[in-house]
Order: sequence, then C-alpha cells, then structure tokens
Amino acid sequence: MVSNAGSPTLHMKAEMAVALTGITKRFGAFVANDGIDLAVRRGEIHAIIGENGAGKTTLMNILFGLLQPDEGSIRLNGEETVVTDPAVAIKAGLGMVHQHFKLVPSLSVADNVFLGMEIRRHGMIDHAAQIARTRELSKRFGLQVDPTERVGLLSVGIEQRIEILKVLVRGARTIILDEPTAVLTPQESRELFQTLRSFVAEGMTVIFISHHLEEVMEVSDTVTVLRNGKKVATRPTAELNKDELVRMMVGREVSFDRRPRTPSRGDVVLDVKELWARDDRRLPALRDVSFAVRSGEVVGIAGVAGNGQTELAEVLSGLRPASHGSARLKGRDLATLSPREIREAGLAHVPGDRMVRGVDRNASIAANMLMGRQHRAPWSSSGVLNWTAISQNASRLIKDFDIRAQGPGDAVKRLSGGNIQKVVLAREFTNGADFLLIDQPTRGVDIGAQEAIHDEIMRQRAAGRAILLISVQLDELAALADRILVMFNGRIMGEVAGDGADEDRIGMMMAGVAAPERAAEPA
Amino acid sequence: MEILDKLVNVALIAATLRTTAPILLVALGGSFTTKAGIFNIGLEGQMLVGAFFAVIGSIWTGSAFAGVACGVAAALVFALVFAVLVVSFRANEVVVGLALNILAGGMTISLMKAIFGTRGSIVGHGIVGLPKVQLPGARAVLGSWAPLISGFTPIVYVAFIAVPLLVLFYNRTRLGLYIRVVGEKPEAAEALGISITRVRYIASLLCGLLAGLAGAHLSLGYITMFTENMSSGRGFMAVAILIFSNGDPLKVLAGCLLFGFADAFSLRLQTFGYPSYLVLTVPYVVALTALFALSYRARPKVITETLASMQRLLSTDKNIGPDGKHPS
Repeated sequence: MVSNAGSPTLHMKAEMAVALTGITKRFGAFVANDGIDLAVRRGEIHAIIGENGAGKTTLMNILFGLLQPDEGSIRLNGEETVVTDPAVAIKAGLGMVHQHFKLVPSLSVADNVFLGMEIRRHGMIDHAAQIARTRELSKRFGLQVDPTERVGLLSVGIEQRIEILKVLVRGARTIILDEPTAVLTPQESRELFQTLRSFVAEGMTVIFISHHLEEVMEVSDTVTVLRNGKKVATRPTAELNKDELVRMMVGREVSFDRRPRTPSRGDVVLDVKELWARDDRRLPALRDVSFAVRSGEVVGIAGVAGNGQTELAEVLSGLRPASHGSARLKGRDLATLSPREIREAGLAHVPGDRMVRGVDRNASIAANMLMGRQHRAPWSSSGVLNWTAISQNASRLIKDFDIRAQGPGDAVKRLSGGNIQKVVLAREFTNGADFLLIDQPTRGVDIGAQEAIHDEIMRQRAAGRAILLISVQLDELAALADRILVMFNGRIMGEVAGDGADEDRIGMMMAGVAAPERAAEPA
Repeated sequence: MEILDKLVNVALIAATLRTTAPILLVALGGSFTTKAGIFNIGLEGQMLVGAFFAVIGSIWTGSAFAGVACGVAAALVFALVFAVLVVSFRANEVVVGLALNILAGGMTISLMKAIFGTRGSIVGHGIVGLPKVQLPGARAVLGSWAPLISGFTPIVYVAFIAVPLLVLFYNRTRLGLYIRVVGEKPEAAEALGISITRVRYIASLLCGLLAGLAGAHLSLGYITMFTENMSSGRGFMAVAILIFSNGDPLKVLAGCLLFGFADAFSLRLQTFGYPSYLVLTVPYVVALTALFALSYRARPKVITETLASMQRLLSTDKNIGPDGKHPS
C-alpha cells in the first residue's frame, strides 16, 4: 500500500484523482460516449449513474485502458496520461472491480488475490506470506474472507470482496466499481458501503457505477449523471433528492408506487404441495414449500438471494428434480414432464440469470425470440424455419418492448443488460402461457426499462395470467404483488398482503425470525 | 499359483516401470497443454518424430545423448508449428493435431525410404542405444528387488522424477500457476496482464520437450531401432489419460502405471501362446475400463442431468422418483 503523503487538502481546488475531458467513443454509428467531461476529487465517493446503455461502463473501460477513446484526454493525479492498456492505469494507482468477476475457481482466495504479482521466496510462491497479507488487508477494510478457501466454493458476495482485495494489493488509490451491488444481498451491500467509506477515510478515491438511486444517495459524495452517452450533470449528493436524480437520469418522472388493480381471483393454476428439493451440493434447498397461484394474481416471493428461490424456480421449470412433494400446473404433475412439456403445458419462464438460461448471447435477437417455439407454426413447417415470419415477429417485438437495437439480426451480446432482459420478456410474455414464472425481472435493468417491465407484468395479470414473481427487491414486490411469500432457508416463513406490505415484518421473516402471529392476512 | 508367480514378479514390475516411462513422459508433456487449456491431440506425432530423429541423431553423431537431443529438437519443431497454428492463428486444435500426426507418420516413412532406402524399420546402421544406469549399492541394499530402482535408462528416471517436480511446478511456481490460470480462466489471466499467447507457447514447447524424450525412449531405450508408426497409439492413450485426469500429475501417473502394467502383462501373456492380436488389446481395454470406472462417479453434471431426464422420459413408471432413482 502506498501511504498517503500529507493530509488530504480539501479546499476548493483539491487535487483531482481523475479528470476526463471531452471523451468520445463510437462503435460504428452508435455513439457510446459523447464529449464527456468527468472530474473526480481525491478522497470522495463519486457515483456515476445512468440507465443501461447510457455509457457508464464504456466510460470506465476507457479510463481503465480497456478501450481507447476516439477523442478526448485523460489526466490521472494531475498528469496527462495515455492509458494504452490496464497496466498503465494500474501503475497510475487505478483499480477496477468489474461487473463480471474474473477469478480462478480452483485456486485459493490468497492465490487469486496475488495472481500476477505473487510473493516469492527462492523462486517458489510463498503461500504463507500471501495468506498472511490477504488476511491483514481483509481485516483492515472489513472484507471478511478466509484466504485459504477455494474460490469455487464461495458465494458471489465473497467473490466481490476478493476482487476488491486484488485491486488493493496492487496498490490502487482510486477504485472503480462497476455496478457492485447488482450481485449483492442488501446485507452485503451495506457491508460493501462500510468498506467504501473506510477507503475514503484512508484518503482513497472511489468511483461507483450504479443505477440504484437509493444506494447512490446513501453512499456517494458526488453524483455524475449520464444519459444516452452524454453527461447531464455533476452535483454534490447532498444538494440532490431522489426525484431530481430520476428526472436527470431518464428525463421523465418515474414512480415506484403500488400499481392499481382490480381484484381478481380465478382458478388455481399452480399448486405446490409440500415440495422439497436439494441444491447442487445435495443439501436441502426447499423444505416443505406449499402455496398456490391463481389466475389473475401476482404472488411474490421475497427473500435474501440464496434461500431457495433459485431452486424453486428450477423445480417449477423442470430443471431440477423435486425430492418430495408435488407441483401441479393446471392439474398436471410437473415431475412427470420434461422442461419442454412443462412449457407446452403452460409455463413461461423468465430466468433469474438471463445470460445463462435466458439467451444465447451469440445468436441474433430474432433467433433468441424464436427459441422454444421453433417447432411450431408459423415459425416452421415440416422442420424448415420460416425466417421471414421469425424476423417480422422479432421486429414487431423489438418495437413493442422498446428494445434498443439495430434490428432483429443484431447479436444479443451487443445489447445492454436491460435490453437483453427485454428480449427474454418479449419472448416469454408472448407465448400464450397461463403461468408466468418471473425471476428477478429487473435485475441490472435501468429505471425506464423497469417501469416498462412492471407495466407489462400488470398487463399480463389483467389478462388473467397466474404470475409467480421472485425478486430480491422489496419495493418491486410491494408495487406488483397481490400476496408476498417470504422465504428463508428453503421454507416459506409467512405471507403478507402486497397492499400496504409491512417492510419491517417482511424484513424479520427474511432474516429467519418467525413473524409475530397476526390475524391471517386476507390474500 | 505357479503360473501366477511366473506372471507377477519383480521382473514384471520392472517391466511395468519401463513400459510406463514413455507414456508417462508424453502424458506429462500433455499435462502442460491440458492445463493451459489446449486439447493437444498431436502428442502421437510429436512422439513419433522424436523417436525417428533420435535414431537419426544417434547414427550421425554416434552418441545416444546427442540422438536424444535430436529427437527432442524435432518434437519441439512440431510443438512450435502446433503452437503457431493453434495459439497464434487460432486454428482448430483437433484438426491441427490430427494433421501433424498424419504428417509425422508420412514424413518418417518417406525419410526412412529416402535415407535408408528401406520401408518398415531401421535396425543397425550403428544406432547407439541409451546406457542403463546401475545405481551403486542398489543390489547390496535391496538384493533381488534391486531391478525395481536400478538398471533403467536415464529417461525412465527422468519420467518418474518429473511427477513430483510437476506437482511442485503447478503449485509453487509462477509459471505453473499461470499455465493453470490460462487454462481455467483465460479472461482472468488477460485482466491481470498475463499473456495467454506466451503462456500457451511455453506450455506447447514444454509438451514437445517431454514428448520428444518419450519418443527417444521408444527408439533408443530398450530396443534400438525405429519402426514405422512406432508410437503405436501411446500418444492417443496419453490424451485419454489426460482427459480423465485433467492433467494432474499424480492422476496422470496412476493412469500411466495402470496402462504400463497392462502393457507389460500382455507381453508376458504372449509368451503363453495366446493370440497376439487379442493380447495386444489388453492394455488398452484395461486402461479404458479403469478410466471409465473412475470417471463414472465424477461424470460431468451435463451427463448426469441428461441421464436423469432420459430416464424420466423413458419411464411412465411412477415408481421412479424425479431424481431418477427408485425409492427403496
């Protein structure tokens, strides 16, 4: 670690850790960054906020040397620098924690932290010294990890801590975090914020990319808002409120209020009884789960990630066997059906991890929208695909769902996260299924798109679909769900009415405390 | 019992170590490429040119060790060509590996014809074989068990000493670590400024080095001759062992010992007058069966899932649980 020379001088013209001037980056005709200026003071937490596709990640990749700007200049610690590759940035004291972690599963935490700059003695890697050093750093910044553990066995939250340790060990004084909370539980996010504050307390600088308003308001000193590749403003956080921030981000008002609805209660579509299932480690992940979803209602599943929600979604979609109990979709036992048969029986599935189970990144939008119905007319006849129909349908869906893309032939991997999610939604919501299994529909999706997705879910409800909505975002559930079931450790701890949902009570159940008995909530 | 005694004795174990050595060396070579994330099917060819040029070098220089050096150099050239095509030009590794194997086979035959005017094999011509190392004191200490550690050619010792060295290499050296990282998570290596290209070149060349030694052992070790297609599938066997062992040196050793034992055992069986065609299949059958048995438990999730869902599809029998098992 480099020691901070002298006390940080925080008067008006405090030294800039990072100053970008007139950064422009084009990908073909698409301008990702358009003349962006950004000044980050030393010793502050600077949030960069904007919708998906606003150019946040591109800008940070330019700063870190992963992309070269077409125009503009970069000053690091007051010095004009051409950041030809990440090595230059690292040397200048920059460190970046990417959205997708780059850790080696078979290596220990310490080995991962020191990868590329191993401590060696007599030409051999000194594991003991690396472990000691990792332990020391993790203590100092409150990043709890066991340095000897194999990374492959750890959770995403801990993987992020390892990525941060990696950056620290390389002597970073300015740390860039790209959407760090997207993969974290609320508890982990709070711990991360503590860590970020401890960095600033040591005179370090943090650049924090997010589209989560509340986080930004909570943790940052300064906010820079990007929209459509342009900078809207840079303002001290204290002078802002959420409404202003939203307006700057999306250029229009957005509310997260409870969606109005007409009560509707149809027949039971999904009936889950005493369901048990094991996770990949063969440990019980679902314990005695029973509930029903009726047509025309949205049932929410709340809970901290990793409490059985993933396994529940997998069992319901036929991807994981149940070990006991039953799940019936319109009376048909799912255990006897293959995933395809379940879909044909009336399931639409928006998977929690869209990159793994939602799309084929390398395929076109049209092909992705076709998946799962390729064997049906009008998309194919006698085993031959009708690309005209497929392509027309994709164009229509791109328009209906406001997907920002050049056309149906665009590869999905070129889209931003929110637009990829819209591709999945467009496919799943239009296949006429009676039961919609929706897992984290707005994870990593910008506010404008969140609104659109919520609107669409409510339209599906009004159309009489039965909807199971799994989300780690309470406000999302409170806005959409008719009833909220809270999961903890594979069990359903209790049920709360969506209307006027009591967050404290849900919070207690999410933490595994049985909610105090109250009069049965009318569903 | 008598037959068993005849079959299994010190000589058999010593023979096992001898027959294990070449496949162990070539598999350890392949461990470098496997760990670095390259599926190197070209081991067979590298071994074959190693064997051929070891003989040529031995004849030219009159020295066995210079012969080994020639063999290694030839294998390195093949390894380099492989690396250039696969690493730099991103050609398909299976296609390149197969092409080089075919080239090695054809090239050795043509060169044999051109230089010696014969087909089939090179015998005599002043080929100098590798000396056998008699460890001083081995006989005094171990008595009749001495052949277990003494009297092998240097390459046999190299092969077995290489196993612990490789374990150390992968766990404690920077290059070893980088090779593993490049194979397991190239994007991590890239992000940390580790050159994937460089590491893969080094791994390919290290592979060529050991494959060349293995080849030299074939032609200058216990028999001093070169015959057409003398590597006889050992390179492919090594590839199989590598797939099942994931390139871990100790597992590679176990797989190779098993193969070596079966090989030595089958040679023994030949003396009992069993049809040689059947006998020659023994090592391959044994090794494959054992590898399959070993890997069945650790079979990839994809296969497990597929099997489970196939079972589900095929059975309308409600007694089969969703995890594909009959509840007992």
